[in-house]
Amino acid sequence: MLVGGCDVGSATGKAVVMKDGEIISYEIIPSTTKPEVTARTVMDKAIEKAGLSSIADLQYIVGTGYGRLKVPFANENISEITCHAKGAQWLLPTVRTVVDIGGQDCKVMSLGANGRVLEFVMNDRCAAGTGRFFEAMARVLDCGLQGLSNLSLQSKNPATITSQCSVFAESEVVTLVNEGMDLTDIVAGLHASIASRLNSMVRKVGLVEDVALTGGCAKNEGLAKALEDKLGVTVKKLPLDPQIAGAIGAALIAAERVSKQTMKSPA
Amino acid sequence: METRIKSKVFEQFSEATSTLLNPVLKDWKKQGGKIVGYFCSTVPEELITAAGLAPFRMRATGSTSTEQSDAYYSSINCSFPRHCFNLALTGEFEFLDGVICVNSCDHVRRIFDNWKRFVPGTPFIEVMSLPRKTEAAQVAWFRDEINLLRGKLEKHFGVKISDAKLWKAIKLHNETRRLQKKLYELRKQEKPPITGAESLAVMVAGTAMPKAQYNNMLRALLDELSGIEGPGDHRARLMIVGGILDDPAYVKVIEDQGGLIVTDSNCFGTRNMWIEVNESLKDPAEALARWYVAERPSCPRFYGEHDNRTKYVINMCREFKCDGVIAERLLFCDSWLVEHYMLGQDLKAVGIPMLKLDREYITGAVGQLRTRVQAFLETMGR
Repeated sequence: MLVGGCDVGSATGKAVVMKDGEIISYEIIPSTTKPEVTARTVMDKAIEKAGLSSIADLQYIVGTGYGRLKVPFANENISEITCHAKGAQWLLPTVRTVVDIGGQDCKVMSLGANGRVLEFVMNDRCAAGTGRFFEAMARVLDCGLQGLSNLSLQSKNPATITSQCSVFAESEVVTLVNEGMDLTDIVAGLHASIASRLNSMVRKVGLVEDVALTGGCAKNEGLAKALEDKLGVTVKKLPLDPQIAGAIGAALIAAERVSKQTMKSPA
Repeated sequence: METRIKSKVFEQFSEATSTLLNPVLKDWKKQGGKIVGYFCSTVPEELITAAGLAPFRMRATGSTSTEQSDAYYSSINCSFPRHCFNLALTGEFEFLDGVICVNSCDHVRRIFDNWKRFVPGTPFIEVMSLPRKTEAAQVAWFRDEINLLRGKLEKHFGVKISDAKLWKAIKLHNETRRLQKKLYELRKQEKPPITGAESLAVMVAGTAMPKAQYNNMLRALLDELSGIEGPGDHRARLMIVGGILDDPAYVKVIEDQGGLIVTDSNCFGTRNMWIEVNESLKDPAEALARWYVAERPSCPRFYGEHDNRTKYVINMCREFKCDGVIAERLLFCDSWLVEHYMLGQDLKAVGIPMLKLDREYITGAVGQLRTRVQAFLETMGR
């Protein structure tokens, strides 16, 4: 059984191809201003990588992410909240709390043992605690996204950053830079400030272990460590790229749909 | 807004909801009738009717900007007074012959201060003092407030609001409540003939025209809808709970995801009509005071009534067979901020899922709203 999941996010497009319950290929590309183009491009790439000839080889495709209504070849669209939870639990069956940090929003989901979302919270319009926030900070500090993670882990004395708004945080950071503060401490301070915001979101749905991070920002180890400090528990690392958790979840739902159809109409 | 109901009278309601000065009010004005605007459903509109005036509940339908009014407010004021006051500053409310404010919340109360000083030319501008508690002492206080406003209306508009006139108005408004309740009865059906967005349009229209005329129109609509079935293609039946929600387009975003709104606890909805004003008392002002302060389904601006509000929501959910609750509030609304958390806890305890939504008064950021509602329906396994 060949199925696909396509997660068109605000910053990147992700596609996963699954065969009989195993991932045979996945791809991540930067989002374009046309979600349908992003979807088509990333899916084609994943298909090629899987050694398949075309999208028609896939029996069912689920679209998710902000552009989910614009995935022209999807059989169905499912919200990224359901997909991220599903993907994370497939990657780590013991997970009960998923913190997803994407390009333009962050969300926390509490999961039942069956992988169903029990409750979720999402940040509102503002960019605090999202990929956009970290991109803006990496630009101000001229260190790149990987640099944020590396610098943060070296800090001995994190700064106190009070602004969570990306615009105000930027001016706060500029002030600290001009006061000559060590960059490692500034970055660690930024991570601590976002981590405390994520912590309060986690408390809204209730902290249950295991906790895992998904989304592009999950790759930022400095942030993961800051979150561990705030939550007081270990944040489990997913065994595969956390950025594709949503696309995996979409592919898993696609597989469920195919099995259901097969059961309904025995050959 | 695209609607399913094809009906002339519904179109009139829909137009009244999507405009300020609608054709019915225009005719009223042309015939020499006067219109008095009032903020919040806690201002007894029966008084306005009894004075021979048309009551108009204030809203900022069609507003696209707050650039004029922002200067008068701070960053923690919600978008409702900003949009309303912006329209006041740009002259959109010049059709009003008077405005009655109330301290329903601090944001709305401050409209009075600004309006009085900065919008010259409104012939009649008053503010009511609404108590925070619901006991006998506060009912007596509000009865006094009602009689004070009654005197001021009489003096300014040169009319006498006798007890008989006030009772007549109460009976007329109770008739509106009964008719609106009939509309909600239709929504109990498995396949309701009217959506939540459409119902909201009917309800809002009721606050924007003389009640006698509205009642006739609503009777006609009820006739058209009786015996009709809707498509019944929804994924879940939902109740919506919240504050100043007067925009059917917002409800439509929810319903486009498959969550059919079948009932509410809203001040443009059931809180304004589920219970009637008691017609058997001697003093009409007393009857109104009891209803507005203590008897009607409670709004969270009142102290000590949380448990009753929860009970109301749970009973409504059972009566209308709701699968879940959507609780919305305007960003920065202080009346609703703690209420949502507590209500969520209460509903969780009885197994009713609830989604919390913050919104701006003018519907925007539809993508985020869609995602939340879709995910909410998915968590319910719908």
